[in-house]
Amino acid sequence: MMNKTTKWILWSVLLVFLIIYPLVFGIYYTNVFVTFAIAALYAVAIQMLLGFTGFLSFGHAMYFGVGAYGTAIALVHIKGLPLIVSVLFGFASALLLALVMAPLVVRLSVTAFAMIHMAFGMLAYTLALKLRNITGGEDGIGAFPIPPLRIPGVFSIDMTDPTNFYYFAMVILGVSIWILWFVTKTPFGCLMVGIRDNANRIDYLGFKLPQTKAVLYLLVGGFAGIAGSIFALFQNLISAMELYIMHSFIQIMQIMVGGIGSFFGPILGAGVFAVLEELTSRYTQRVELVIGLILILVIMYFPTGLIGMYHHFKTRFFTRQAD
Amino acid sequence: MSILETKELSHDFKGLWALRNVGLQVKEGERHAIIGPNGAGKTTLFNVITGTYVPSKGNVFFKGNDVTKAKPNEMVRLGMGRSFQITSTFSRLTAFENIRMAVLSKRGIRFNLFKQVDKMNDVTEETDAILKRINLDGERDIPASALSYGKSRSLEISMALATDPDIVMLDEPTAGMSRDETHTAVELVRRLTEGKTTVIIEHDMDVVFSLADRITVLHHGEILAVGTPGEIEKNQEVKDAYLGEMEV
Ligand SMILES: Nc1ncnc2c1ncn2[C@@H]1O[C@H](COP(=O)(O)OP(=O)(O)OP(=O)(O)O)[C@@H](O)[C@H]1O
Ligand SMILES: [Mg+2]
Repeated sequence: MMNKTTKWILWSVLLVFLIIYPLVFGIYYTNVFVTFAIAALYAVAIQMLLGFTGFLSFGHAMYFGVGAYGTAIALVHIKGLPLIVSVLFGFASALLLALVMAPLVVRLSVTAFAMIHMAFGMLAYTLALKLRNITGGEDGIGAFPIPPLRIPGVFSIDMTDPTNFYYFAMVILGVSIWILWFVTKTPFGCLMVGIRDNANRIDYLGFKLPQTKAVLYLLVGGFAGIAGSIFALFQNLISAMELYIMHSFIQIMQIMVGGIGSFFGPILGAGVFAVLEELTSRYTQRVELVIGLILILVIMYFPTGLIGMYHHFKTRFFTRQAD
Repeated sequence: MSILETKELSHDFKGLWALRNVGLQVKEGERHAIIGPNGAGKTTLFNVITGTYVPSKGNVFFKGNDVTKAKPNEMVRLGMGRSFQITSTFSRLTAFENIRMAVLSKRGIRFNLFKQVDKMNDVTEETDAILKRINLDGERDIPASALSYGKSRSLEISMALATDPDIVMLDEPTAGMSRDETHTAVELVRRLTEGKTTVIIEHDMDVVFSLADRITVLHHGEILAVGTPGEIEKNQEVKDAYLGEMEV
């Protein structure tokens, strides 16, 4: 077990890294990092559902998308909307959708849950395409005003500056990931893994399954929405493409590559995908092909993902020493 | 006064009547055994009482309330604990985490998203005390799936008791055990259920006669006889239907 000091040192190193990153790597890689961090929060949120509680969803792009549209539409229609409030709009939109969906899905079996999300995901995608006067259809909503981060009379920070936006995004995404991590450590987190292992026993210990799943569902939807909201602000554009089913699959692939049971696996997976995309796009247009191949290799040889691979080699290393 | 009572309880599995007009009465404080040959409907009776199924006909009363339609989690909150014939623990969680889940429920900690569970010292202490009582303190951090069969059955039994229920329903706690393991398990059950209303399904006649205050005999979904171990031993109908069959 890591002791407290090592832990604090590691966290400080990470913090310093995050602070100096844009100064060292320049604007291009700063933007790459923001893209990665958005994917990381999105994947971590999905992991709460998939890895911790055992529910696969093929449709969570709709929460990401609704969060993004919520923020974009609010910024288009409300003049002078503060930045934080625009993020809250995204969060609330996703939460509202989850609130409507929850009663429909919390009593479903694992398979039905996956399928109904696929169906609703497709529906959301189609609606985003068709409801042109709200969503802008294929073109989406772009070039909406990005408000500065400010407290009137105290400070005002321009958010169209990539470095400034990087720090803003890191705080929002970092705090969100921390909140989700904390939840996994609470009694509610125990319930989540309990449901994954043996939902019947959870019922037979006196816990209400549908209600517990509903709370989790709201949490996951809401935080996927925050990831979407930051995405919209970052790109200054949101289109129906973000709701396409591929954007529900990618997170699941990132989770599988990173490690399906672990909290930090999805972050690692999102990182691997970001690096791969960066590297392969220099040489080929077929980024998906490369990623697909890697996924197949991982699933064949390391079904527990990179985190599992790490534990595997660690144990082997230590056993050999013991021989 | 019966703490648990069923009235004309019947259950139909698509044409197969697994229970017919069962009127079970369990008195407060007694150990009540349910015996009967394979397929007699014992587990189905438990399932209907504890809320896995709503019975096709009849009613279940617990502490004077009609709980015929109550769900498992509602029954637990009313004070009923249950163990399963086929071990039903959290296989990937450690023995400690398994018991802790029950302790959290007992303490009504169900939706806490604001405090780390590791920092709830009273929960940890109570969980460790239970592990010690069931001789699993040595296996505290081992996943339930890696426990020996006997130990995993101990875990199963104590999950039913760790919520501190007023009545505990044990479905064949010694199922699949060797002689030695059975002996240990029976002593554990005896110790843990001392003074607590207990309904126990059990095949081993020696165990039944040594543990139970009263016995209900089920046969083809019907109650064949009810009585003290002495009465049941002498009952000719039971001998013909059940004890005879056992020897086949
Ligand atoms: N879910 C179910 N669907 C259909 N039939 C069932 C179901 N559960 C049990 N049965 C049938 O109901 C009858 C009673 O089964 P039950 O499991 O209650 O018996 P039991 O007395 O517990 O037997 P054992 O001693 O083998 O555990 C059996 O004929 C069984 O096949
Ligand atoms: Mg049975």
